[in-house]
Amino acid sequence: MQVLRLILSPLAALVIGILFLGLSRKFMARIQWRYGPPLYQPLIDILRLFTQRSVSHGVVFDLGIILTLAASFVIVLFLPFGGLCPMSGSGGLLVVLYMMLLAPLGMALTAGESANPNSSIGISRWFILALGYEVPLLLVLLAVMTRYDTISLVEIVAAQRSHTSSIATFPLVLSGVAYLLIMPAVMGLRPFEVVQAPQEISSGPMAELGGRYLAMATVQHALSMFIGISLFVNLLWGGASNPLVFLLKMLVMFALVLWVNAAFPRLRIDQAIRFLWRWPTFVAFVGLLLVVVIGD
Amino acid sequence: MDRNQLIKWIEAPAKMAHKYSLHAVYFCTGCGIIEIPPAITARWDAERFGVLPAATPRHANLFLITGYVSLKTLRAIIRTYEQMPEPKYSVGFGSCPINGGMYWDSYNTIKHLDRYIPIDGWIAGCMPRPEAIFVAVTHLWTLIEKDMADGYKRYRVHYSEYRANQERILGALEWPPLFPKE
Amino acid sequence: MNLNILLMIAVGGSVVTYLLSSISERIRDAFAILVTLAVAVAVAMLYGRTSEVTLWAGFLGNPLLLRIGPISWLFAMTVSAIGCLSVVFSLKYMRGRERNGFYYAMLLLVQAAMLGVTLSGDLLSLFIFWEIMSWSTFLLISFNGGTALAAGMKYFVMSITGSLAMLVGVVFVLVSFNTLEISTVAFALSSAPPGYLWAVFLLFGLAFAVKSAIWPFHPWLPPAHSEAPSPFSAVLSGVLIKMGFFGLLVLMYVLIGRNDFLSLGWEVLPLHTILGVIGAVTILLPTFIALLQTDAKRLLAWSTVAQAGYIILGISFGTALGLAGGMLHFLSHATFKALLFMVAGAVEYRTGGIRDLNSLGGLIKRMPVTFAAALVGACGLIGVPLTNGFVSKWLIYKTLILEGSPFLAFVALIGTWGTILYSYKFLHNIFLGQLPQNLTSVEPAPFSMRVPMVVLMAVVVLFGVLPGIPLTVIDEIGVTLGFSALDVAPWGIVSESGVVNMLNISTAVVVSVLVAWLIFWAGKSGERVDQADSYAAGAAVPEGRYQYSMHFCDPLRRMVTPWLTDRVDAFYMGLTVWFTDVSDGLRRFYTGYVGHYVMYVVLFLSALIFVELLWSPW
Repeated sequence: MQVLRLILSPLAALVIGILFLGLSRKFMARIQWRYGPPLYQPLIDILRLFTQRSVSHGVVFDLGIILTLAASFVIVLFLPFGGLCPMSGSGGLLVVLYMMLLAPLGMALTAGESANPNSSIGISRWFILALGYEVPLLLVLLAVMTRYDTISLVEIVAAQRSHTSSIATFPLVLSGVAYLLIMPAVMGLRPFEVVQAPQEISSGPMAELGGRYLAMATVQHALSMFIGISLFVNLLWGGASNPLVFLLKMLVMFALVLWVNAAFPRLRIDQAIRFLWRWPTFVAFVGLLLVVVIGD
Repeated sequence: MDRNQLIKWIEAPAKMAHKYSLHAVYFCTGCGIIEIPPAITARWDAERFGVLPAATPRHANLFLITGYVSLKTLRAIIRTYEQMPEPKYSVGFGSCPINGGMYWDSYNTIKHLDRYIPIDGWIAGCMPRPEAIFVAVTHLWTLIEKDMADGYKRYRVHYSEYRANQERILGALEWPPLFPKE
Repeated sequence: MNLNILLMIAVGGSVVTYLLSSISERIRDAFAILVTLAVAVAVAMLYGRTSEVTLWAGFLGNPLLLRIGPISWLFAMTVSAIGCLSVVFSLKYMRGRERNGFYYAMLLLVQAAMLGVTLSGDLLSLFIFWEIMSWSTFLLISFNGGTALAAGMKYFVMSITGSLAMLVGVVFVLVSFNTLEISTVAFALSSAPPGYLWAVFLLFGLAFAVKSAIWPFHPWLPPAHSEAPSPFSAVLSGVLIKMGFFGLLVLMYVLIGRNDFLSLGWEVLPLHTILGVIGAVTILLPTFIALLQTDAKRLLAWSTVAQAGYIILGISFGTALGLAGGMLHFLSHATFKALLFMVAGAVEYRTGGIRDLNSLGGLIKRMPVTFAAALVGACGLIGVPLTNGFVSKWLIYKTLILEGSPFLAFVALIGTWGTILYSYKFLHNIFLGQLPQNLTSVEPAPFSMRVPMVVLMAVVVLFGVLPGIPLTVIDEIGVTLGFSALDVAPWGIVSESGVVNMLNISTAVVVSVLVAWLIFWAGKSGERVDQADSYAAGAAVPEGRYQYSMHFCDPLRRMVTPWLTDRVDAFYMGLTVWFTDVSDGLRRFYTGYVGHYVMYVVLFLSALIFVELLWSPW
């Protein structure tokens, strides 16, 4: 049973992540008054990429991309998906936090080994952007952890199911608002799409990735979108008792993020940091302060 | 368009994937590049067919040479084509790559592009309208289906001739010969 | 093995090494390794034993005692192990340099002194060995001369200030309690009024704080660690700082005692909270200052300052888990920081002295083992799971979050993110990217340099996967100091909430890597190309100009630099300038003209007579 859960959860994350990728392209197309590709288009892209024979720049080039995908899989194992959570007793939220910093590191090793300055610039932008959204994100996570006095995601979800969603309680509503403000940054969508920036730095860290490497990077992007939204739904929107309701909640959040993505241009990296360290940080900080002061 | 025929996906997934995921290197050669943005934006929507622009040659499998090819551009075209992963397809767009087109007597342009890189198909016109791009894409699908889009294989087999042509017109090239490698 | 025999071997080894260098280099090298290895093995064999030995009865009326217990054993083990590895590293590094006999002698003397500090049983021997340690490290820091001398002087002045405070403290203890033996003083202090506790804490704490380089006593560290010879930088960052923490531990939990220490201070802001806040400040600012550095060793030095903040945060928190986290972080930091300094030393050795991050690049192709060591060290520094840095940081975070200090936890976590940035900068600018033309013939690190690096790599990973090994020792220490015992299993701590199940996490990571590798293997492999075949917008790669290392993280740097002036350092430098000016002014009294001196005498006598006539105080 445990083995089945260990396989099912990452598989579901993979399927849903790729569905999100296709959904984003269809959604954006419809907003732009055109038809857009079918929903399964990312699958076709990934399949095509797997059959192309591209280049590799070294051992670290290969290892880095494996590491970043593995990090995303590990996070998925620790995230509750509806009632499904394979690794429920092993440290929960802190492991997720730690693994979220491994994904850019793996990609950074690959990009560094690419010997291409576009990749290096892209990675420096990725780290800076991550530092930008981590400040409010950490404040939000700490507020939730302090409010429920636990670091286990399963317990947080259970606490919300017995009372009410965190975002509907004061003062965690402030943390929820802060998370909503930084969600596009966590997922790498506009206005914070500064890492890839195809027109500026030739897709940044992925400039030298082709074939199976690009396919794995695409899969990793899909998983990171899944993780960003799933974290929000689990921590602040009550999780769900069965996977279908969870999926529905994720779709609602995803639609919200896509609307923002469609409406905004891309910010520069210093504009992005200035925004992320201003209002979302302030709101999240006030939220944490109130949680500590008000107590239980 | 047989994208929804599951049987074909099971029989030849690689071929079908290449047909319906043609990412073109966003390489802007000459005048013809002005026809690409309308093709990929809302009015003619090439993304329906899986055609998207790619930022670097490493991500792409389609190369559209969209206009006249000067000597400087030829250097970049050869480098870009060689950096694309295989299998890859190249399409000459407009009359200039076919036979020199409007610049048939210019000292600075290439008249027959397929002496320097292999071309899988041509689109005639000066400039062809975006609908012509779609016709070309559907023809390319047929070629891929019939295994006739083998420009990259020809490049590998006849590389010495291609390289000799390139060096004759461009002088010494800064990158070493691509084949034989392994 | 008797403790004073151990110490005599260590000190005697240093003297003999110096004498042997005039005979033969190779014999001296072999002897140095033999001595340090023997000391390390001897200390290892002392595990679990408590013994006390009188080094010298009746020095100025007080016996000098040596004692070993769990705390002493752990610190002594770290000192001797890292010392041995750095001597092995020095073999090739110092080969053929002038005065290297002096170098080896001092290196061994520093280790002997640190051993003495950890084994001391009374405050006077602690002071004596502390002083020996201070001036021998000064001599080694200024070994290269020039800017190294200035760095050494800065270190020396600050260290002396601390030592003087310690001397006053020793005298104070002697006068108040008439004894200097640590356990007797602890007993006497437990019934003393809080004023005594404050005096002891401030006086001794100043000395230990300067040595452990916590804010605001950190300015000596970056220049000292970057200008010292690299194997000694490894020892400096790895264990010298930890001597300060050893002292703080002994001060807080042995001398003052756990309960007294935790209740010291005011109701709303107890002392240990102040120490925690100091630790947080020490984490935050130096982490980002490290990001701005372009010198590889200076970056690592600022990183040491930041990591010291984690240690102080852990040990001053007052819970068993926090103490375990702080102590484990001390151990982990010793290993991976020594490893990283050895990497910087190896790169410096092979490239002919280049330390500037802006002129290196692509060395992974020439020095693969060094890169692997750097990668493991950086992963330990960041706290990647499966390394020992992860376990220690995890324990610290859990303590902070579960004990209700989310703001300190926030600072600690942001520190980790900053650590990722500068660790990646270190890795990328040295090993990744394009290999410049002038470095294409760099050879891999020599065997004698690779051995300590591989050993430290193995330790980092081993203690990460099986943290129970160091945690059993640390748990013993915690129990000795009066904390509750932790339930230690080989793979982690089974504690109240949230099982730190390293085995589970390790399994998850290994399985995920396997799955990712399977997906990777299913695709068509890529063919190897060299760095000249990189995307350059259709042109050939411009040789020598295609490496992005200058202004790495420039947007962040521009935003953050105005906030990161080291005001403490500016304050100290200003103080120094003021002192120099005042002394310069005072100097003018000595005109050299005897007539002026006679006038001074006459004036002083007349002033005395005036005072006597008016107020007649005598």
